Amino acid sequence: MTSWLFFFLLLALLAAPRVGLYALWQARRAERAREQVEDALKYLLDHEQAGLHVTTAALAGALRLSPARAARLADRMAAQGLLEFRGPALHLTPDGERWAMDVLRAHRLWERYLADEARMPLEKIHREAHRREHTLTAEQLDALDAALGYPQFDPHGDPIPRPGRPPAERGQPATSWPPDTAGRIIHLEDEPPLAYQQILAAGLQLGQIVRVLERTPERLVLSDGQNEYRLAPAVAANIFLAPAHDARPLPAGVQPLHLLPHGQPAEIVAIDERIQGFTRRRFLDLGLTPGTRIVPALENFFREPRAYRVRGTLIALRNDQAAHILVRPLNAEEASDE
Amino acid sequence: MTQAEQILKKADRLRRELPRNFRDEMVQSLYDEAERIARRAVQEREGRSYDLDQKIDRIVTSPIFGLPIMLLLLALVIWITVIGANYPSEWLANGLFWFENQAATLFERWGAPWWLTGFLWHGVYRGLAWVVSVMLPPMAIFFPLFTFLEDLGYLPRVAFNMDWLFKKAGAHGKQSLTMAMGFGCNAAGVVATRIIDSPRERLIAILTNNFVPCNGRFPTLIMLGTIFVAANFPPALTSFVAAGSVVAIVMIGVFFTLLISWLLSRTVLKGEASAFTLELPPYRRPNLGRILYTSLIDRTIFVLWRAITTAAPAGAVIWLLANISVGGVSLAQHIAGFLDPLGWLIGLDGVILLAYIIAIPANEIVVPTMLMVYLGTGMMIDLPWDQLGVILVEQHGWTLLTAINLMLFALLHNPCATTILTIYKETGSKKWATFSVVITLGTAFLVTFLTASLARAFGWV
Repeated sequence: MTSWLFFFLLLALLAAPRVGLYALWQARRAERAREQVEDALKYLLDHEQAGLHVTTAALAGALRLSPARAARLADRMAAQGLLEFRGPALHLTPDGERWAMDVLRAHRLWERYLADEARMPLEKIHREAHRREHTLTAEQLDALDAALGYPQFDPHGDPIPRPGRPPAERGQPATSWPPDTAGRIIHLEDEPPLAYQQILAAGLQLGQIVRVLERTPERLVLSDGQNEYRLAPAVAANIFLAPAHDARPLPAGVQPLHLLPHGQPAEIVAIDERIQGFTRRRFLDLGLTPGTRIVPALENFFREPRAYRVRGTLIALRNDQAAHILVRPLNAEEASDE
Repeated sequence: MTQAEQILKKADRLRRELPRNFRDEMVQSLYDEAERIARRAVQEREGRSYDLDQKIDRIVTSPIFGLPIMLLLLALVIWITVIGANYPSEWLANGLFWFENQAATLFERWGAPWWLTGFLWHGVYRGLAWVVSVMLPPMAIFFPLFTFLEDLGYLPRVAFNMDWLFKKAGAHGKQSLTMAMGFGCNAAGVVATRIIDSPRERLIAILTNNFVPCNGRFPTLIMLGTIFVAANFPPALTSFVAAGSVVAIVMIGVFFTLLISWLLSRTVLKGEASAFTLELPPYRRPNLGRILYTSLIDRTIFVLWRAITTAAPAGAVIWLLANISVGGVSLAQHIAGFLDPLGWLIGLDGVILLAYIIAIPANEIVVPTMLMVYLGTGMMIDLPWDQLGVILVEQHGWTLLTAINLMLFALLHNPCATTILTIYKETGSKKWATFSVVITLGTAFLVTFLTASLARAFGWV
């Protein structure tokens, strides 16, 4: 009797609708197929925008498929009306382009979400967004867009495409930016990852105002007034700048809040541009606005978090958060005011 | 195009012309306006209480005294609860069980069939009475004490002191407060996670709250620590060793809380929204009326009612399993026999597993149910500790491994039905409620399996 029981249990495990192993395998297969089609669409869109032609062989290389599988994928997509063959080259149809734009939109919205709401490190969000971009329905995508407040750019500064909206400007690479003109970093290209990591490691960030100090074939030197950044031209080509009309230079002596000595009054100058979404809203809700006075008031056993007195209340912040709040220490005279 | 569409289109166009951080400017102007009004309407007195606040803060968060003060207070609260609940629990039990006997006698005199009397009074009522008498007194003591510290404004300082540790585990410092609440009752601890305003950290706190042993599990832990672990030491040390073993179990629970929090924040919950904020409000004079109201009505009665609604059916099931026989052996014995191999694998036995399965509604009745099956009585019973130890060791082959693994299992196993229900209500998701059971039960089986295998491999048992 026991063996019958086990037999039925096993059968249920395999064949149960929706939760059985067979059903799960089927669902996974459908997902894989969608991922493949969407990755192909994205690849085609990317190259068409750059004015390049894509062959089936190139597609096979990009998606890591065997040539035969890539050919079958292209045939299937052509049959669905997503792409057409022009000689050896593959081209997106209007339908295919629309779908590809949706995938791009999903990818960039997810990046925005992961960076702002989930506070994931910037160098990790691309992979996670790539995994998630294939999972949403059109309605869910719209809901995500609305929940994020219709952001215009992803965390790398890429515009987020929306149906019926012209693509926004992308800026000029730092390598061709006129010297001694202030420019705002509006885009940091995240491909190839190695160059992107170098840019992040150098400390450059989106929204920063910089000037080109020196440009030689070997290196390019950028300055934000306080620090100088030396980069190889190949890396600097991944930094895109736009004219900064409203550029206000930071006053001298500004430092991040977590380095402010215990008991030293200071004035908040700015909140880091990189901090957007949830975390920025929280900072603002707590009254951490520019011009506010703040004093580090409490330290505990672990030296983290530290509590700051601001607007008559005590607020504890972790050091990685306080690092994004820029303050100007007040001298004794200013501090005794009020 | 309708008017609404036109408006939306225009809004969309205008939004793109806004400066990058127009939200900052909006908030700034709100604060400026609020400041202007406040300056006109509020007169600030040279505050003495403000200085006092700062002095207290410097002591309770100080690098030297902060942590010791916190641990001392926690130990004090738990000690008062355990000691203070002893007598009221006994009185309640005596009273409630006296009533059971009277009622059962009355039923017999009226000629009611034995199964009706048994089912109603020795099943449903007894389950209820047991849960109420074990659960009510500790909660009625613990919750007012806890609420007192809360009302005083001390608890946010604890979160402030502990945050560093929880940050390492990807969690929020306020989780230390929901854990402390879990000592009173895990269901109340889950409700208390509402103070964590960041979605990811709140889920972590909810899913790991059960690793803190609640009032319902403390008596079992103390009993096991006293009659099994401490019995192996010289008499002079017994009370010390018993207390030490319970503290060690609590520490293991804290360790698993942090470990599972760390794992969750890096795997399943990686993409959930997250932010850290912690306000340290000014201290205030505790309001006795409010303390009694929130602790007794909001917390104690609320939890007790949920426990009662689940304990009554459990009492019924337990009685039925013990009194329905197939082939001369009760159903309970049959199931225990079936579970025996699995129980052996994790250093326990079938009866213990059965007790845990049918006592899901409330951990308080695990030991009475176990004794019922061991002794073949028709209802849940209790025994004095000295007899208990003898019977378990001599007749049912308990060893030190059984006791230690039972302590570990009691610490790590799935939440009680009340807590599962609360997790479902707080997260609004069956997925998370199920998940909370899977991770705790998985941890419990894994850990006890490892300790049992190790003990056997080294020939300690």
